[in-house]
Amino acid sequence: MDVAKEKELREAEALAEKGIILANVDKLLNWARGHSFWPVTQGLACCAIEMMAAGNPRFDISRFGWEVFRASPRQADLMIVAGTVTRKIAPIIRRVYDQMPEPKWVVAMGSCANAGGPFADSYSVLPGVDKIIPVDVYIPGCPPRPESLFFGLMQLQQKVANPAKVRLMKHGK
Amino acid sequence: MENNVLRARVDELAARVNGQVEEALGELVLTVNSPYVVETLAAAKNFQGVPCDFLHDLAGLDLGDRFEVVYQLTSLRGPQRLRVKARVARDNPVIDSVVKLWAGADWLEREAYDMFGIVFKGHPNLKRIYMWDDFEGYPLRKDFVPPTYEERATMRVRKEGE
Repeated sequence: MDVAKEKELREAEALAEKGIILANVDKLLNWARGHSFWPVTQGLACCAIEMMAAGNPRFDISRFGWEVFRASPRQADLMIVAGTVTRKIAPIIRRVYDQMPEPKWVVAMGSCANAGGPFADSYSVLPGVDKIIPVDVYIPGCPPRPESLFFGLMQLQQKVANPAKVRLMKHGK
Repeated sequence: MENNVLRARVDELAARVNGQVEEALGELVLTVNSPYVVETLAAAKNFQGVPCDFLHDLAGLDLGDRFEVVYQLTSLRGPQRLRVKARVARDNPVIDSVVKLWAGADWLEREAYDMFGIVFKGHPNLKRIYMWDDFEGYPLRKDFVPPTYEERATMRVRKEGE
């Protein structure tokens, strides 16, 4: 993203806070993307149970519009890595990530996906999924409750909806 | 143990296969050397009156100076339980497979092979079950040195057709 575009986006954000929305297709698209993630099911361990619970009526992930879990990476734009990433499965996760169309995001759910969790020193466990794919949001917990998952996804929603702000926080320009 | 019939059968068998019988927490444990394992288990499977004919579990064990393969036997036809331990030499960890007695021992023996490197002679498909095929070493051996953090943090290369 070039600097002029970024400035424009930041101005639009500032206006939106005052209640003025300018016609801006990028912004509209980003808003829509953030409100309708299609996650690819990457349930690897017990975190997947919480992810399933998040989909059930008690927690109801469809309140946010993220309920369309896809079994195919080609139809998904979000990967929720829920569980322990072993070194055996790591190349397959990378492959599924590569098969997802752009734009795509990754959420690391739970201690294991973040940094290996209690198995960080194990011979068979990859110490964090960020060693093989870029992660946007890390959700701590062992496992995180569905509320934590929602909060993490809302953080990602903020990230997707405000690319200029993310760039500003990350690179300071 | 109340089950004197089983005790008598196990004692008789132990005398035949040169094994030792002890009782641990109310459970009979029969320890034999590895060459006798198939004979022992086949006999235990056909004990008169108290057949121990269900292989509940099979596990490897590293005791430092030797390996052991532990067979937990129960039955669906009675309360009898028997634990058979087979000593395996550490420098030559070979033991006969019991897949012919219990087909369910297939994956259990593959697990013991994967984790301890115990070779089960006569197994139809003895290859790794948990770890990937080109993994080096046997991770549950006491002298196994885990790979370094740097090595673990890199993605392994997947073989074609894996």
